[in-house]
Amino acid sequence: MSFAKEATDIMMQNNRFTTLIWLALVALTLVTFAIGEAGFAGKHVMLGLLLIALIKGQMVSNYFMGLKQADFLWRAIMLIYYLLVGGLIAAAYLLGLQ
Amino acid sequence: MTKNSSMQIAILQSDRKSGDLPGDLAIWIFIFAEMLVFGVLFVAYAFSRANDVELFNASQQTLSQTAGALNTLVLISSSYLVVRAVSAIRKGCSTDCARWLSGAFLLGGVFVAIKLVEFYAKFSAGITLSTNTFYMFYLALTFFHFMHVIMGMIILAFVIAKARRGGYSAHDYDGVETGASFWHMVDLLWIILFPLVYVIR
Repeated sequence: MSFAKEATDIMMQNNRFTTLIWLALVALTLVTFAIGEAGFAGKHVMLGLLLIALIKGQMVSNYFMGLKQADFLWRAIMLIYYLLVGGLIAAAYLLGLQ
Repeated sequence: MTKNSSMQIAILQSDRKSGDLPGDLAIWIFIFAEMLVFGVLFVAYAFSRANDVELFNASQQTLSQTAGALNTLVLISSSYLVVRAVSAIRKGCSTDCARWLSGAFLLGGVFVAIKLVEFYAKFSAGITLSTNTFYMFYLALTFFHFMHVIMGMIILAFVIAKARRGGYSAHDYDGVETGASFWHMVDLLWIILFPLVYVIR
């Protein structure tokens, strides 16, 4: 197998992988939408919605933005951002329940 | 596959040192700065809501979840097309790269159109920044994000023009990655904004 052909094959596989990521993102968006349309509310629903956002955010930053290939530090910054913002949103929500 | 050829492929896939961020480092400083500003606004929204849950829940009911969800799908798909554009230029296909980016740009236009319909509905109902705290946050957050979409589209337009002229190659595509990174950030922010403002109640 020629070098050029191998390179093309790997890239085709990458494209297939990113297509799967895109489909997963679409599916998770539809889940969020369905939860909203059903009018579900409450602590567990809120946590579930934030968890979905965290997973989607990680998919976009790691595989679309390409942070998977970058130093761990950059991935860590992105993960900490999501955990911090999401955590504070959850804390504020729980505060509102009281 | 031999070890040697897989190393060659790794080099071909990217000329940058492994571990570096895609695109220009400057855009990443900008991305993290913008995310910080949005992060503060998201948290401010959440704590303001805690002070007046009933008002926020009642006002949120007037938003179109369908429009919000549609726009999420539009941005996610647009981001995906940008990934394909980067993949194309890595193979040296400028024309394909420009085509994928044009698709992403068009979807950006769809986002803008949907958002304008939403803004128009709110303004014609007499809702402004001073109507109540929820609408102040809703309008400020989504308009600020909207401006980032517009800016992202301007960046994409410049990258598309250069790609059409054959200005990028398999060894020189930093500009494409830089524009792509900004566009993904716009997507990344909406991924939090949509559940936070439209869905969580």
